Amino acid sequence: MDKDSIVLYPGCSLETSSSHYLQSLKTVFGVLDIPFRILDNWNCCGATSVKSIDEHLNLLLSFKNLALAENQGFRELVVPCASCYFRLLGAEYELNKDNKLCEDLNKKSDLPYKGKVKVRNILDFFVNVAGLDLISEHVKMPLKGLTIACYYGCLNTRVPVEKAFDVREYPKTMDNIVRTLGANVVDWSYKTDCCGASLFITVNSIAEKLVGKVLKDASLRKVDCVTVSCPMCQTNLDTKQSIIRKKYSIEHPIPVPFITQLMGLAFGCTPKELGLKKNFVPIESILEKSSVN
Amino acid sequence: MEFNELEKKKILYKETTLCYQCGKCSSGCPLVEEMDMFPHIVIHLASLGLEEKVLNTDTIWICASCYACAVKCPNDIEIPGIMNQLKQMAVEKGLKPKRNEIYKFHKTFTGDILRRGKVHEFRIMLEYNLRLGKPFKNAMLGPKMLFKNKLHFTPPKEVKGFRKWLEKANRKG
Repeated sequence: MDKDSIVLYPGCSLETSSSHYLQSLKTVFGVLDIPFRILDNWNCCGATSVKSIDEHLNLLLSFKNLALAENQGFRELVVPCASCYFRLLGAEYELNKDNKLCEDLNKKSDLPYKGKVKVRNILDFFVNVAGLDLISEHVKMPLKGLTIACYYGCLNTRVPVEKAFDVREYPKTMDNIVRTLGANVVDWSYKTDCCGASLFITVNSIAEKLVGKVLKDASLRKVDCVTVSCPMCQTNLDTKQSIIRKKYSIEHPIPVPFITQLMGLAFGCTPKELGLKKNFVPIESILEKSSVN
Repeated sequence: MEFNELEKKKILYKETTLCYQCGKCSSGCPLVEEMDMFPHIVIHLASLGLEEKVLNTDTIWICASCYACAVKCPNDIEIPGIMNQLKQMAVEKGLKPKRNEIYKFHKTFTGDILRRGKVHEFRIMLEYNLRLGKPFKNAMLGPKMLFKNKLHFTPPKEVKGFRKWLEKANRKG
């Protein structure tokens, strides 16, 4: 892929509750010297809520984003949020499969779309487009001595099998990035377990139980942090961690950095450039351990 | 029965009838212990045309669309998609959703997108609590998030021409 043609779809949470994800992503792209643009005039993907109660609206929202990308001259849409990725890829899949549906939407919405845009997950982008060699070249402060668990959550990988960029039930893309940064990665059967998503808001007790299981197992494996690439997972694992730790007798705090924050740390970026202050469980502890080793 | 309703029943039947009851969806579901009917039983009843019997379950609402089941299904049935169809059927029939607190969240979230094409998380939290009649739900979260500047008081700007476009694209016929 031509690197000049990269367009990012940030999604709503990267502009507010997970702005540290977007900030660290931009910083990392800067270090790797990857020029990019943000999709002009993008709209919300609808997330799981719209899909749950209005299938047609769900399709329309993603159709518009895909059509915008195509009309703005891009062939690929790079998506950092797992939920947005899942929704956009779902629409790409559905519209490619059903030409009549695509034509119908073209006509009704006055927005031409030929189905030429490929939706790409950010992990897929880092490993298969930018490449691990490029990442490795920029590592100035290897994360030596750290043991890290990679948490993919659900929607990064549970796509139709022909669209999958990684093994759906035991993905390794993020593991490979973390290894390139110099850290140890644990083999982890919880890497694609569910964090509860919006149950975190609606039925707290259920989401807390799910997050508790994930964090408990991470702590038993004595990891220094759990890294993620999904804003929903990050929020659920990080925001109420002190309460959940107490409830499930988890002794030590477990930082939950975005993969881009870890990359930035290994590239020697400052905490400010990576928005580290926005994480609830402080990440500084892992920095100290890494610099000692 | 209206034509539309019959079409929906047909779609549901066509998808669920592929199921041969291996039970993998239920055994791999992270939320199964919170449900009042196993997912594979929901699929079974739907395939028999008895979906009325599942419209009043917790199961269809508790499903978080994590797709663990869909990845495991040997017949590639998109089970979360079926759960969504059943949610929508329940609402269309005027049944009170068994897990109303979950339905109300989806409704609040969707309504907020329709306003401007992007979500305003702060407003969703407030409006959701008001709809539930529980003003202090998740209350300890709000100040923490605001303090870290993770929630904004002011909504994002409307996506240019969003509402007009949607009205046109969404028209019937």
